[in-house]
Amino acid sequence: MATLYHNVRAVLRGEAADHFSLGHYLREHLLARPWLLLWLLLLTYITVRVVMSQLADAPLTTLVVLLVWGVSVVATAAAELTRRHSPATLWLSHNLYNSLTNALLTLLLVLVLLGLGRGFFGWAVTRASFTTDPDAAKAQLAAHEEPGANWGAVGDNFRNLMVFRFPREEDWRLWTLLAWLAVLAAASGFVYGRAVFRRSPLRRGLTLLWLLTPVLSFVLLVGLGGEGSFLPRLNPDIAWGGLLLTLIIAVFGILASFPLGLVLALGRRSRVQGVPAWLVWAASLALLAWLLVTQSLPGLRAATTTGGRIVALWPLLLLPAALLITRAFRGNLVALLSTAYIEVIRGVPLITILFMSIIIFPFLLPPGMEILGTWRVMAAVALFSAAYLAENVRGGLQSIPRGQYEAADALGLSTFAKYRIIILPQALRAVIPAIVGQFIALDKDTTLVGIVALIELLGVANLISAQPDWLGVRREPYVFIALIYFTINMLMATYSRRLERQLGVGER
Amino acid sequence: MTTKSTAETDEIIICRDVHKWYGDFEALRGVSLTVKRGEVIVIIGPSGSGKSTFIRTINRLEEHQQGEIIVDGITLSHDIRNIAEIRREVGMVFQQFNLFPHLTVLENIMLAPMNVRKWPRPKAEERARHWLARVGIPEQADKYPGQLSGGQQQRVAIARTLCMEPLILMFDEPTSALDPEMIKEVLDVMRDLATSGYTVLAVTHEMGFARTVADRVIFMDGGLIVEQNTPTEFFANPQNERTRQFLSQILSH
Amino acid sequence: MTDIAPDAGGRPPSIPFWRDSRVLGVLAQIAFFTLVVAGLVGLGRNVAGNMGRLGENQLLCRDGSSNFRCAFDFLRLDAQFEIAETVIAYDPSDSYGRALLAGALNTAKVGFFGIILATILGTATGIARLSSNWLIRTIARWYVDLIRNTPLLLQLFFLFFGVILLLPSIRQAAQPFGLPIFLSQRGINLPGVALMPSFTLWLALIGVGLLAAGVVWWLLGRRERRLGRDTRRSLWALLMLLLFAVPGWFVAAAAGAGNQGFVVAADAGIATPADVAARARAALGVDDLSAVEAAVAAGELTPEQVEAATVTLCTVEGAPAEANAAAWLRRAAVPYDVERAPGPNEAIRAYLDGDCRLLVLSRAALTAAAVPNSAIVPLPETPLRLDVPRIEGLNFVGGLKLSPNFAAILIGLVIYTGAFIAEIVRAGILSVPRGQSEAARALGLSEGQRLRLVVLPQALRVIIPPLTSQYLNLVKNSSLAIAVGYPDLWSTAYTTLNQSGRAIQVFLLVMGAYLSFSLVISFFLNWYNRRIALVER
Ligand SMILES: Nc1ncnc2c1ncn2[C@@H]1O[C@H](COP(=O)(O)OP(=O)(O)OP(=O)(O)O)[C@@H](O)[C@H]1O
Ligand SMILES: [Mg+2]
Repeated sequence: MATLYHNVRAVLRGEAADHFSLGHYLREHLLARPWLLLWLLLLTYITVRVVMSQLADAPLTTLVVLLVWGVSVVATAAAELTRRHSPATLWLSHNLYNSLTNALLTLLLVLVLLGLGRGFFGWAVTRASFTTDPDAAKAQLAAHEEPGANWGAVGDNFRNLMVFRFPREEDWRLWTLLAWLAVLAAASGFVYGRAVFRRSPLRRGLTLLWLLTPVLSFVLLVGLGGEGSFLPRLNPDIAWGGLLLTLIIAVFGILASFPLGLVLALGRRSRVQGVPAWLVWAASLALLAWLLVTQSLPGLRAATTTGGRIVALWPLLLLPAALLITRAFRGNLVALLSTAYIEVIRGVPLITILFMSIIIFPFLLPPGMEILGTWRVMAAVALFSAAYLAENVRGGLQSIPRGQYEAADALGLSTFAKYRIIILPQALRAVIPAIVGQFIALDKDTTLVGIVALIELLGVANLISAQPDWLGVRREPYVFIALIYFTINMLMATYSRRLERQLGVGER
Repeated sequence: MTTKSTAETDEIIICRDVHKWYGDFEALRGVSLTVKRGEVIVIIGPSGSGKSTFIRTINRLEEHQQGEIIVDGITLSHDIRNIAEIRREVGMVFQQFNLFPHLTVLENIMLAPMNVRKWPRPKAEERARHWLARVGIPEQADKYPGQLSGGQQQRVAIARTLCMEPLILMFDEPTSALDPEMIKEVLDVMRDLATSGYTVLAVTHEMGFARTVADRVIFMDGGLIVEQNTPTEFFANPQNERTRQFLSQILSH
Repeated sequence: MTDIAPDAGGRPPSIPFWRDSRVLGVLAQIAFFTLVVAGLVGLGRNVAGNMGRLGENQLLCRDGSSNFRCAFDFLRLDAQFEIAETVIAYDPSDSYGRALLAGALNTAKVGFFGIILATILGTATGIARLSSNWLIRTIARWYVDLIRNTPLLLQLFFLFFGVILLLPSIRQAAQPFGLPIFLSQRGINLPGVALMPSFTLWLALIGVGLLAAGVVWWLLGRRERRLGRDTRRSLWALLMLLLFAVPGWFVAAAAGAGNQGFVVAADAGIATPADVAARARAALGVDDLSAVEAAVAAGELTPEQVEAATVTLCTVEGAPAEANAAAWLRRAAVPYDVERAPGPNEAIRAYLDGDCRLLVLSRAALTAAAVPNSAIVPLPETPLRLDVPRIEGLNFVGGLKLSPNFAAILIGLVIYTGAFIAEIVRAGILSVPRGQSEAARALGLSEGQRLRLVVLPQALRVIIPPLTSQYLNLVKNSSLAIAVGYPDLWSTAYTTLNQSGRAIQVFLLVMGAYLSFSLVISFFLNWYNRRIALVER
């Protein structure tokens, strides 16, 4: 296209009239590229089809769009030819009309988007009902041939979506917690970024308050005393739900997975002196012999098929296992166990782990002991998250140059001090964006706990369609909670990007 | 210097027949060297000859696999207590500075004294500022390493090492990563230290430094000490063929 | 490492072992390992105790005894539950083992198609993110942001309950853009391709064409090197291939012309397939059969008249002849119906019983049948016939069928994973420094060569590792199929678990299966990654 402009410009200036001929242009630029030509034909065909159908659907809008498009294309082309761009045409010539394809695509996409937008707007606004009175809503929607959204269902269930069955008279606890977090966050934004406060007690105090927050959250969300006391104990299985539960699980998941994730990452990277190969082999062979005698022999005797016989020889798997330990891990059992945990957890879907926490976990406890479903699920989420966190932290550790370890060693720091003061602060800072990303993933993953009978945000949305008042209303709550997730996660992502930039400054 | 070893002899480093393998590559093939207290030794040699490897075995950044290394009367072995003790007494300055980027200059210097020597903060800070002044950049105390020039960073690294009050100073090509005009500022500091009584082990290709400051120049090649002599003798009258070759190459620049 | 060298320090002045770093390291590890194993054993004991208390015999052998080694014997018991759709034949009287296998294959099916489609979508979107067109760029960014920041399960629910199940009923199936794609509550029906007998011949001709193209490519390559200039050999090679493929199509069609045919009563006056259409026109009194529907709607024709003019075919279930005859009748807009019999003999009997007007079979079967008082009319044939879905009764027949559940999980996973792949592709492309492209242009490489030889190998090196983990995520996320009722591995395993009560065994199997999926995918991609790493060097 640019070439076309140049040629036409040359003609207009009368510089070299014989330099441009349409026939030449077609031969050189379109016919020489059969695929481009074919594509342009197809695109034109589709565009014409869409224009036709849109003209039938919404003549006025389409005409306006066509007009604006035509005028702006002509204006841009003219500006390009005369080399007198206004800011608007310059932008257009770079971003919308920089080739034949793009000029056509722009028109096509604008029309399609307008069509879609009209459809959505009609559903969400024009033909929608906004009253929370179910009967009035029914009447309003019945007036349309194609009824729109029934937003009353969301409005009517707003509290359910936020906190579900959290007792109303205890709402003050949530407000308190929210206020506490807001104040701390505001103070942190002020204190942490500024070098003046680097060694000030203010900063220490703030850190202490942050460290106290989990305790406070527990006290407020779960309670302390019995019935009728100031802070009566709540049963999380019942009292927590909706967005509240979603946030609790996600935040707890990421925080609680931190210690284990850190240990796993360090474990996987550890280069400690391995257990000598002879010891590994001796132990595995002894175990093998014992298993062969006690397990395989009776199994072989009982087996009737070849398959059964092969299965009965499962203890032989110890041999490759021993080989793995001595060769791949050089006898490093810590790295072996960490790696095994990380890879197994990362290799299976969260849903199986959640179901395990519901089904298998009770079997793991000593008889007579019981743990609430919420706790079990939260523990499962944390254990799951730890494996992913470990990999993120490991990435951070890998990004620390060898020289940092060596300098710390040369100064005589103990291993513990080396990691605490030198390595981890740098590594963790480097992985903040990755950890925020993981938090976003975890926040989305909490929807799965709905499958194991906890009622989080999505669970509530599903329940709405079963309410007699709002029977079958599904899309509206889904759209609403999608908006909630989108807002939270986009904010986190944006914040993490900003943090990343900030951390890069000064301290590098 | 708080702890003094029992073997208060004149010989502060004794290496006997030190061997070191990387996999099946033998990087050190029997290095023997004795260093006296207060002696300044410069090690030179072609790239890959094992200079770095050798001095890194002395503070056990690398493990040697055969032979014996005794530093200030302490034998280097797998004994964790010995390793910690030796690292306290041996300071090391790296080619790439290896400052801790997330700590300020002052914090970099105070870190080891406070955590290893367990000095109280005021004392550590006082000593840190002292050494920072000694290397000539007292005004940079509160900056981060990333905000300093290469020569300034290397001087901070030296101050960081000195603040531990080591008996022995080791330099591994401290000027190779620097621009020519920065080399001088670092060499000046090194020269100052070498003449003030420290035992110094320096790998460097600054021949001027070797000539004027060293008590002894050591030439390594292929994981062995090929030749050692006083600087005057060494440069004027090299005995070994390899040494002559190497010197002619280096000095012809 | 250490084993080659003699042990350290010659004769170390004996270190007490509690200060020897090596001994300490090993001891700590053994202690740690023992602790972990002891913990596991302790948990195992709890499990054993709890199982006993619950009175479930998890370890029942077939001879009635109970033993650890029989833990997996339950896999041979009858599953006794339905699986809505399977890749392999499955029946509730099959074993649990087969049920799980069917589930695993369903997961593999979703994974396979999902990975291919998500890669296409993701690559396209990733490139769109870098488009010079602001509108495309922005749309792509919104798609990516919206999808990546909302939960997959929510998207699946929305897709299934909010879109697919709200589609029109089967009778009013939506046809986007008038294409032969049918969207209804029953899922998605797409046109398929039916292979005709002559397809083999066509394939052979294409093979010859490929060979010829290869020879041309090779010869021109030599010429190129000799002359030192471009001879457009890819174009010539393509032409060579087309030279065989296009005429080959007609050759194969002509050769197959007699393969299939139909039998009509000798007195029906039908000598060619076109006569069937003529008869229908005559019966309905219209000039154009495609106007019949409009005429019925306008009341000019009654449904009964159409019914009477409808041509019924007798044929064998799944015979290519049916697709062939149907394709041809559809093109001629003749109203038709199909009676399917399990075998040729049943079909012939149905014809003789007067159930249908035409008996459509392979020519050989027709000749063998030797139906009295009838003529055999050969059916024209092309190597491939479009197999368009058609409503018969309450179902679609023919073409490709995606159940609503499969469609939901597949589309949901593709859209979701595609957004993630888009970001990976974009980052990969951006990771190649601009200087590389400039250098390639400066060396005089063509745009195609620049992409193929310079940019792509470098971008792929950055793309492949995170792409691998997205593929793994897709397979793992397919376990959400349970939410939309698609019987994947996890869903069948969950039913098995509930019915058999063998919780631990089922979990072990499921985890093993997912780990194997992961291993297989990682293996292939690592292999591929190594290959491009070699190309790069
Ligand atoms: N970690 C390692 N693994 C394997 N081989 C190594 C390792 N470190 C060093 N080597 C090898 O040991 C030999 C000696 O290396 P060293 O770094 O001591 O050389 P150098 O004399 O310091 O060289 P330069 O002047 O380039 O710094 C070299 O051949 C090097 O390749
Ligand atoms: Mg070196």
